[in-house]
Amino acid sequence: MRKLKTTLFTLIFVFVAGLLHYVLPQHDVARVTGSEIIRMDFSATNRLFFAQSDSGNVELTTRDVRLINAQRKRSFLLGFVRRDAEGVMVYRNEDTGWIWPPYFKFDSSDLQASASANMSAPGAEQWVVITHYGWRNRFLTIFPNAIAIRPVDGPDVRVIPWFSIVFFVFLIVAFFFVRAMWRQFRERSIDPLLEDAGDAYGRVGEHAAEHRGRIGRWLDSWRGPKQR
Amino acid sequence: MGLVRLVVFGFVGLSIVYALIWFYSRSVRREKLENSWDENPQEGADNAARDAYIKQGMEEYHSSLRPKLILLVYIIPMIFVIGLLIATNWN
Repeated sequence: MRKLKTTLFTLIFVFVAGLLHYVLPQHDVARVTGSEIIRMDFSATNRLFFAQSDSGNVELTTRDVRLINAQRKRSFLLGFVRRDAEGVMVYRNEDTGWIWPPYFKFDSSDLQASASANMSAPGAEQWVVITHYGWRNRFLTIFPNAIAIRPVDGPDVRVIPWFSIVFFVFLIVAFFFVRAMWRQFRERSIDPLLEDAGDAYGRVGEHAAEHRGRIGRWLDSWRGPKQR
Repeated sequence: MGLVRLVVFGFVGLSIVYALIWFYSRSVRREKLENSWDENPQEGADNAARDAYIKQGMEEYHSSLRPKLILLVYIIPMIFVIGLLIATNWN
């Protein structure tokens, strides 16, 4: 039972942590090396990891997806510790629309133009901070979705993840608030009911003990005197 | 179409939050009133006086600003969404 509980909680924790890692915005220091548009025929596996067509368009099973090619600084620990090494990264650039994830992004075309405007060649690097969410996975052919591109002076820029800070503070406050609500509900609504039920249970118990006393004594009279 | 879905589901979700906070806030106020009476009961007063005291306190609570502040449950997310919409799509 205890093992089952631990497993269940671990699974829930991993799922929620994975979801937050996928959905919360992250910042890459990178330089844009190119952009392209490819036609994607989504499968049941990778459809989940793409948004929908631009918000004014109709949704079809196959469509063009804007991609932004970049060379980015690699990092440790969710981007908090930056390394000197560089690696390639490809971002998709899709409208998230009104629903999920709630970025309310409708300006994919503008973002693509912004990516083109900040494109640079080796030797004359223009560094940018690319805000994005999502994962890159080669086997599933999925890309993180770029949300914003902001030109910066150099690769040593410090990015403070304000949104995530506010989000986690809110999450902690919400947790304690819900706990306070639950405790209030238990104290004022459930406990009195249980006390009533407890009293009734106690009365039934006494009654039963009385009967048990009588019947038990009768039963005992059939047993030998030393068995009890 | 997406906007309609957002408004409908957002309204339903926030209404649930609103109802929960409404009951919670009322319950906390009632408990406070009960405690303040029990700590310092009026001389020679019976249970009816206690009930009247609590009833009056609850009426004062319902006509005060506090329960109306719970409407912020609708307003703050709306401001947040509009702010996010502007921040994301601003060039």
